[in-house]
Amino acid sequence: MAIDQIHDLQQVYRKLLHSMSRPGTISSIEQETKQVDINFGCADSFILSAMVLLDAEVTFHVLSKDRQNLIEKISNYTSARFASVKEADFILVLQEDEESDVLEAMAQCKIGNLIDPQQSATWIIESAVLSNEDALVLTGPGIETAAHLSTGQSFRFWQARDSRIKEYPMGIDMIFADSSSQIACLPRTVSAIPMEVK
Amino acid sequence: MRTNTHFAFFDEGSKKEIRRATLKAVAIPGYQVPFASREMPIARGWGTGGLQLTLSLIGKTDVLKVIDQGADESVNAVSIKKLVQETTGVQVTDQTEEADLIQSRHRIPEIPLTKDQILVLQVPMPEPLRPVEAREYATKRMHSEDDYSGAWLMLFEQIVKYGKTATAADHPVYVNGRYVMAPSPIPRFDNPKMHQSEALILLGAGREKKIYAVPPYTAVESLAFEDYPFAVESFEGQECRLCGSAHVFLDELIDQKTGETVYQCNDTSYCMEQLNSTEKAEVESSYA
Repeated sequence: MAIDQIHDLQQVYRKLLHSMSRPGTISSIEQETKQVDINFGCADSFILSAMVLLDAEVTFHVLSKDRQNLIEKISNYTSARFASVKEADFILVLQEDEESDVLEAMAQCKIGNLIDPQQSATWIIESAVLSNEDALVLTGPGIETAAHLSTGQSFRFWQARDSRIKEYPMGIDMIFADSSSQIACLPRTVSAIPMEVK
Repeated sequence: MRTNTHFAFFDEGSKKEIRRATLKAVAIPGYQVPFASREMPIARGWGTGGLQLTLSLIGKTDVLKVIDQGADESVNAVSIKKLVQETTGVQVTDQTEEADLIQSRHRIPEIPLTKDQILVLQVPMPEPLRPVEAREYATKRMHSEDDYSGAWLMLFEQIVKYGKTATAADHPVYVNGRYVMAPSPIPRFDNPKMHQSEALILLGAGREKKIYAVPPYTAVESLAFEDYPFAVESFEGQECRLCGSAHVFLDELIDQKTGETVYQCNDTSYCMEQLNSTEKAEVESSYA
């Protein structure tokens, strides 16, 4: 069965909103990913998160150089336009992407300005299987005391994120989507501190 | 001719735009995110911001409650409920606990909200600095510079004039220690309910084209001076004449016949619930 553009995407949006307002909370969108009948060559939860938010009014950037195919597919399905990393409203990162490319993009992407902090990039990241193990300690609005999240990103990734959110209210927001149909979010307000490497 | 409307009235493009603005609003608590407020079948300034948020959120399985100044059955609440119900077919309710989407005009329900609920507030004037500065680009700059002297001055002038802060409703709050926000014209009584709330609170201003949010577990502090601390409306010694509840927000009414001042719960569904619980006990006891 094909994705229902109205009801399935509404459900995914509500899960995204739930996870964005409660950072570290992992939401399952298994019911909806079951409906995806096209192979985009990436996690279904990742593609659904993009479908919920992208349309002709926004731009996106796919980090991977050899994924012309994915760019075309996303454009065809959502009518969103491809843009450079400096201009894109949404930056799509696949698990196969090189860390050096990710860090470079993080340094270049837009973070808004003090007058319009909402004009910043939102990152949609295909991640390792999400869990609430204590790889990261999260604190900030939406979290009662502290939350734990594991996304598989390296220490350097979190350092790079820190350097782009320190000028709050400017910053970037992140959506993590894994191959087990789970999503979690990290808005710019949340401090994510990596625990010691085990 | 009667045509079928799209689910939740909006086209999907409009929903997406509102959803993107909402996620940004959640990520920057208290900051007013501009959005392309749509024409709605009700007039701007009558809850179109809240309505647009509700329509962008709602799904087939949601249960909706709409309140207007505490009442489930006043015109604004009923019209909005009808519009949403006719275009989505969702279940509507008066019970606060049953609803997972609550759209409200100027009140936060008496029953504490839970993590599975979303409160949508209708906002007429989202800009707390508007009374001191008419230009939008100037107020945006003030927000960017964390310059809230205008809001403080407003409260100070009230103290000079009236001996206390005289905000009847819409008393400005600091959200997450960064943005000063208009909490919508809720009574001061409801301001503390926003602090570390369990439910997500979304605020929508249709005419002013702004969406903003207070995520759960976020610090919301009412503006106040050390020597003039923030105080909520006091109903000391008063209780609801119908259900007898105290420690709730009461409406002050004048009895037409006797000319006496009487008090009554503002939250009608809460009042009804209290009455029903006592009624039931009476029936049970008489049966026994």
